[in-house]
Amino acid sequence: MSAHAAALPANTLAEGLDTVRRAPPGVLVVFGASGDLTHRKLLPALERLSRRRLLPAAFAIVGVARTEMSDDEFRDLMADAVPNAGPGWSEIIKNSAYIAGEYAHPDTFSALRDKLQEIEANLGTGANRTYYLATIPEVFGEVARALGRVGLNKPEPGGSARLVIEKPFGRDIDTARQLDAALHEVFEEDQIYRIDHYLGKETVQNVLALRFANAIFEPLWSRNYIDHVQITVAETVGVEKRGNFYETAGALRDIVQNHVMQVLSLTLMEPPGSIDAQGIRDEKVKALRSVVVPKPAEIPNIAVRAQYDSGWVEGNAVPGYRQEDGVSPQSQTETYVALKLACDNWRWAGVPIYVRTGKRLPKRVTEVALQFKAVPHLAFPQDAARGLNPNALVMRIQPDEGVTLRFGAKVPGQAFMVRDVLMDFSYGAAFLEEPPDAYERLLLDAMVGDPTLFIRSDEVDTAWTIVQPLLDTWGSGGAPLSGYASGTWGPRQADTLIERDGRQWRVP
Amino acid sequence: MSGTGKPANLDLAPAAPAGTPEGSVPQPAREAQPVHTWEKTNAGLGEVIEALPDLRRQSAGQETATRTAVMTLLMVTSNADDSEDCLASVRSLGAHHPCRVVVLRPEPDTIPGLDASASLWRADPPSREAHPVLFEEVQLRVRGQAASHLSSIAGPFVLADLPAVMWFPGALPDPADPLLKLANAIVVDTRNLGPSRSDLAHAYRTLLELANHQPVVDLSWVRLQPWRELLAGLFEPERSRHFLQDVNAVHVKGKLGPRHMLGGWLMSQLDLRTRELHLEDAKHVDIVVEAKHADETGTFQVSRDAGSRAVWAKATLSGGTSHSQALPLPDDSLTSALAGAVSNLRADKVWEHALVAAATLAS
Repeated sequence: MSAHAAALPANTLAEGLDTVRRAPPGVLVVFGASGDLTHRKLLPALERLSRRRLLPAAFAIVGVARTEMSDDEFRDLMADAVPNAGPGWSEIIKNSAYIAGEYAHPDTFSALRDKLQEIEANLGTGANRTYYLATIPEVFGEVARALGRVGLNKPEPGGSARLVIEKPFGRDIDTARQLDAALHEVFEEDQIYRIDHYLGKETVQNVLALRFANAIFEPLWSRNYIDHVQITVAETVGVEKRGNFYETAGALRDIVQNHVMQVLSLTLMEPPGSIDAQGIRDEKVKALRSVVVPKPAEIPNIAVRAQYDSGWVEGNAVPGYRQEDGVSPQSQTETYVALKLACDNWRWAGVPIYVRTGKRLPKRVTEVALQFKAVPHLAFPQDAARGLNPNALVMRIQPDEGVTLRFGAKVPGQAFMVRDVLMDFSYGAAFLEEPPDAYERLLLDAMVGDPTLFIRSDEVDTAWTIVQPLLDTWGSGGAPLSGYASGTWGPRQADTLIERDGRQWRVP
Repeated sequence: MSGTGKPANLDLAPAAPAGTPEGSVPQPAREAQPVHTWEKTNAGLGEVIEALPDLRRQSAGQETATRTAVMTLLMVTSNADDSEDCLASVRSLGAHHPCRVVVLRPEPDTIPGLDASASLWRADPPSREAHPVLFEEVQLRVRGQAASHLSSIAGPFVLADLPAVMWFPGALPDPADPLLKLANAIVVDTRNLGPSRSDLAHAYRTLLELANHQPVVDLSWVRLQPWRELLAGLFEPERSRHFLQDVNAVHVKGKLGPRHMLGGWLMSQLDLRTRELHLEDAKHVDIVVEAKHADETGTFQVSRDAGSRAVWAKATLSGGTSHSQALPLPDDSLTSALAGAVSNLRADKVWEHALVAAATLAS
């Protein structure tokens, strides 16, 4: 314990109230404060935190952006972002301020430093500073360096300085490493909070609870009992208004490198010694490092890329990807990826991991399915077990979050017939508390200083290492781009990928 | 004997569920609807027990709802009016915190017998992608001598392997009642104690005795939590924190019960003497803490503006520093308090210390 912490008396009135984590007094600095992410996600999430009584009285937001705007205009923007805000939001708005300026200009950051000191003196927020970079990724390094030049990267005694950034963390492994190097010039790794909002979802965290709070699942969680794993991230929507962005990304960068790798690592990881940031992240990295990096020669056999054509989704006729706004008529960007991965370690050797993600699929669903091996000998007559499949444990991440276990049961009656039944746990049906939205959870975690649900530098690097050969091969035209009708579960080639192994995709 | 529609049995017609209070974070609550009901006067206990699986079998062909339970909630009440409000709250709760609800109404001074109803309720989630939930409710009017032996009646209805919570909306139970042995936790409401200060002091001592045996959760304490959080939050900034050691006066306004609990809490947590506490009867809670540290004075107040649906917390320090926070008036509905209570079924030492001090203040 520091001398500073020792000198501060305990807040005895807070005793017993610690079942709920609250942000300490502080200032949240939002770069890109005039942008869409701030307006649509961050400000509403902060208002909900305020309504849930998770923000302190001594709290302020300082917006920084290139757009010329006065303090009052920024306050109007804050009010406009949350039309039916609670009374606490007006107090936060009152405390808040705005700094207009170029990220390349030193004056912007000296003005920020002065403003922070002024707020901290007037409001008693201490020197707890969280910098949220809601900007385009290209300026992450520039902003970090500029913060360093005015000394805002260093925590003051009794305070904190944290930098929050959001994916994409680079476009490939080289740019990811360049970004990392730029951030590490001025911030220590434990000050950097990389957001993948998937990790803020309650049910992604529930994977940890299911695995490590229950003795019955973990012994089965290995090659001894599991035949294969299927991870599905399916969307019904197309690229909507993000055609320009999506053309530069594609499903591999947009979903597989981050969301899928995060879910995969939580599914494959070994039990950590403790459920804390270091314990969990160490094991996640170990799991990712065990995933076999695809060799260029084998990519045609283990990976399928495809693009949606026109079709029907949820009763609506929808255009093909190349007809979407902002998309080139000759686009080679994939909107669907199917992969067969492998994990070379004691627990998972020989267990294929099938991953698929796509846009304009028939149903919005994200799930991890563990398909168990069939029983070694089926003692029933073949007719009696016609409707029986191997057991499956499915963790539904969205929507209708929950867990389903498929097992065989006797059909009531004189005859001995066995068929599949589902034991279904619906997360929302068992708990009253409305789960916080992912941004609420992650913003609070960053302000509290809990990095458990943020991605560490080595996780990002390892995830890029796995997908980089696919990017290289596909980028050099080394794999054909298939098509699939919107509203179907993907191209025929994806079915072939799994059927070659005598297996089938689940229909979620 | 069996049918659909609301269970009008035992004069405990369902009341409207408590609404979502203004300003609170919306809960996905939906009013639960009865699906099937069975009822009988002068019933045998075995008949009631058999009725439950029968109800589920009836629903199986028609419903796709899943039956989920996270606890058994036993409610013990002798007052029919109390029962209506409480049942409405439990049904609102049941949609999202599904439990088997067992209502026990002892009537020792009537002709011996058992009047019972069992019903299956369905709660539809707001999202069409989620499953509806079924939960069970059993109401038992226990007449005659058996009313003094409720543990033998209630025991068969407690779900195995799940916590059993016993709720006493009205009078506190006798700490020696064997019925309490069925419970993993007891829920009470110190707001309903009284009406005099001496009643209050006696009740606080009874509660302390109950808390010696199992966790007691106080709905009034749950309702007061936002006020405690706001006040505690005012002392989070470093400069304010030092004032906690030098509090010289505390003023607490509120109704009989809540003001004593808040006063008791401040007295025990800040190690204050009785004469430093000033309690005053008022409709709304209002707390002022005055302190002097070194040469500075500090005033820390949590109050509700007259006519407003907001609660204000404000710290004012000499030298001009101040910070304030406003929040929507906390939801003090029975449903919300009950939800808070059953979400946190554990002994609360801070509450017990507050109770000891509150007993002193009420004496």
